[in-house]
Amino acid sequence: MASFVAPSADRAGDSPPFVLAVEKMSTVAGWISALLIVSAVTITCQMIFVRFVLNGSTVWQTEAIVYLVIASTLFGLPFVQMLRGHVNVDLIPMWLPEKGRRRLLLLTLALSCLIVALMFIFGLEFWHQAYAGGWRSDTVWGVRLWIPYLPLPFGFGLLLLQLLSDLYAAAHRATVSPEQEAV
Amino acid sequence: MDPLLLGGLIALATILVLFSGLSVALGLLLVSAAFLLAFDGPRSLELMPEVFFGKLDSFALLSIPMFIIMGASIASTRAGADLYEALERWLTRVPGGLVISNIGACGLFAAMSGSSPATCAAIGKMGIPEMLKRGYPEGIATGSIAAGGTLGILIPPSVTMIVYGIATETSIGRLFLAGVFPGLLLVGLFMAWSLFATWRQGGRRKELVRYYSWKEKFQIMPRVLPFVMIIFGVLYAMYGGIATPSETAAVGALLCLFIAVVIYKLWNPQDLWAILRDSTRESVMILFIIAAAGVFSYMLSSLFVTQSIAEWIGTLDVNRWVLMAAVNLFLLIAGFFLPPVAVILMAAPILLPIIETAGFDPIWFAVVLTINMEIGLISPPVGLNLYVINGIAPDISLKTILAGSIPFVACMVIAILLLCLFPEIAIWLPETVMGKAL
Repeated sequence: MASFVAPSADRAGDSPPFVLAVEKMSTVAGWISALLIVSAVTITCQMIFVRFVLNGSTVWQTEAIVYLVIASTLFGLPFVQMLRGHVNVDLIPMWLPEKGRRRLLLLTLALSCLIVALMFIFGLEFWHQAYAGGWRSDTVWGVRLWIPYLPLPFGFGLLLLQLLSDLYAAAHRATVSPEQEAV
Repeated sequence: MDPLLLGGLIALATILVLFSGLSVALGLLLVSAAFLLAFDGPRSLELMPEVFFGKLDSFALLSIPMFIIMGASIASTRAGADLYEALERWLTRVPGGLVISNIGACGLFAAMSGSSPATCAAIGKMGIPEMLKRGYPEGIATGSIAAGGTLGILIPPSVTMIVYGIATETSIGRLFLAGVFPGLLLVGLFMAWSLFATWRQGGRRKELVRYYSWKEKFQIMPRVLPFVMIIFGVLYAMYGGIATPSETAAVGALLCLFIAVVIYKLWNPQDLWAILRDSTRESVMILFIIAAAGVFSYMLSSLFVTQSIAEWIGTLDVNRWVLMAAVNLFLLIAGFFLPPVAVILMAAPILLPIIETAGFDPIWFAVVLTINMEIGLISPPVGLNLYVINGIAPDISLKTILAGSIPFVACMVIAILLLCLFPEIAIWLPETVMGKAL
């Protein structure tokens, strides 16, 4: 299952600048993600107040809340990866000897980098299409869609950096315990 | 390639990838990309971010982070200990009162936090040492808390039920109501077994019963009532038609944060950050799986796998209860290895058409599915609750905890059988409160 490992538990001390920089970036992304969720809570409460107490109409709130939650999810991806919070099942690694476990860890990390890189590239392309085409949402608010789409390449880009940092740390680590296998 | 054969190949690849240690969400994305590339061409890969975004583009999803914030706020306070103490004071004269108050506290805390591991940790920290001190057998002390903790995903508000509602487009309000009586049934079965096992093993030899005065009993109530009132307030707002589940959950989250700061004095920014960090970690993890599972089901449907499986099952001439038994067995096995959210998101789109074709109620099925997932939480190899208990009671071996949990698994199987015989246990309350589903 998901293991909750302190971010720098196994790479404290002599971590290279790249790993440290990515760790800081992921932490900041985590703060942003938490702030976005808090904003969604606040706007939801404001919307309920306007609708039920002031009897007013709400135009932009529902859409904004949905986009805030999406942005929070995407910005949170590298932070949760750093905390080893993405749930996984490490059944095969548990059966493998030390050497095999290490190889599998490197393979799964490399595959993770590959799929996240794909999502980043196609996400960037999708965002660019929305930006160049001047796409707008078909609601009264009519928000420019490149704004809510922007966290897509950002989130996957930062997640890619975090995974590369994890791959680097794993490649330079002497031993791999089943707990560290969590990708 | 024949879509059914392709389905088998996808299932095999998914199992292999998920068991390799790759995170569930990334594993689902990887399998989806590989099969889309191989059988639908590279152009379909370009659609993956759009499908991913589209799956998250729903106001109903807001209820997930909101209920998680509610649970995290409650879990970070002394609320679990207060609840435990309150029930202990009130139930101390009841025979086997301690084990009953522990399971009752698990049920109530589960309703407030919506999280199984949080319930285990919050009640177990107080309950297990106290039960051991009073001579309850180790297996019952740990098994009752491990099993009681699983109620978190059944008793409303439950994040698992929300995820099922979103995956199958079923009313979340109905799902919450459907979980109430089965939840109480499980509480009753757990209590009955604990009392019987304690009596059989000659437990409570060293029982040191302390009797509390009425003053002492009422003294603790102000510390317990605020959170309980918020939960009932949230449920009332939802069923009173005042606001949607997402809206009420947001108000509930804000109120729970407020109570954590004002009543439990969590002024320190670090404490608040801990609540937000834990909520962010859990909600991002779940939402990432939801979006990735959306891409996965898009792949299955693009390659006509979902449709072919539903069609194939339709042509099979099997008794509907045999079909239900097979579905239960599949869910049970999946629940042994995968977290409930992942099982629901992967299985619901495929299983729901089959269930509906066979004439089963999707709301009733949600309850059966959730109890199957509860069994997975206290069964090896994953059994998250077993490890949580092992963490808070390291002197008791995992083998003893597991042996203590097995009778509670049997209670859950009995509950599933009772639900099959009397589906009204689940569907009576939603149909009475909200009318028949259209």
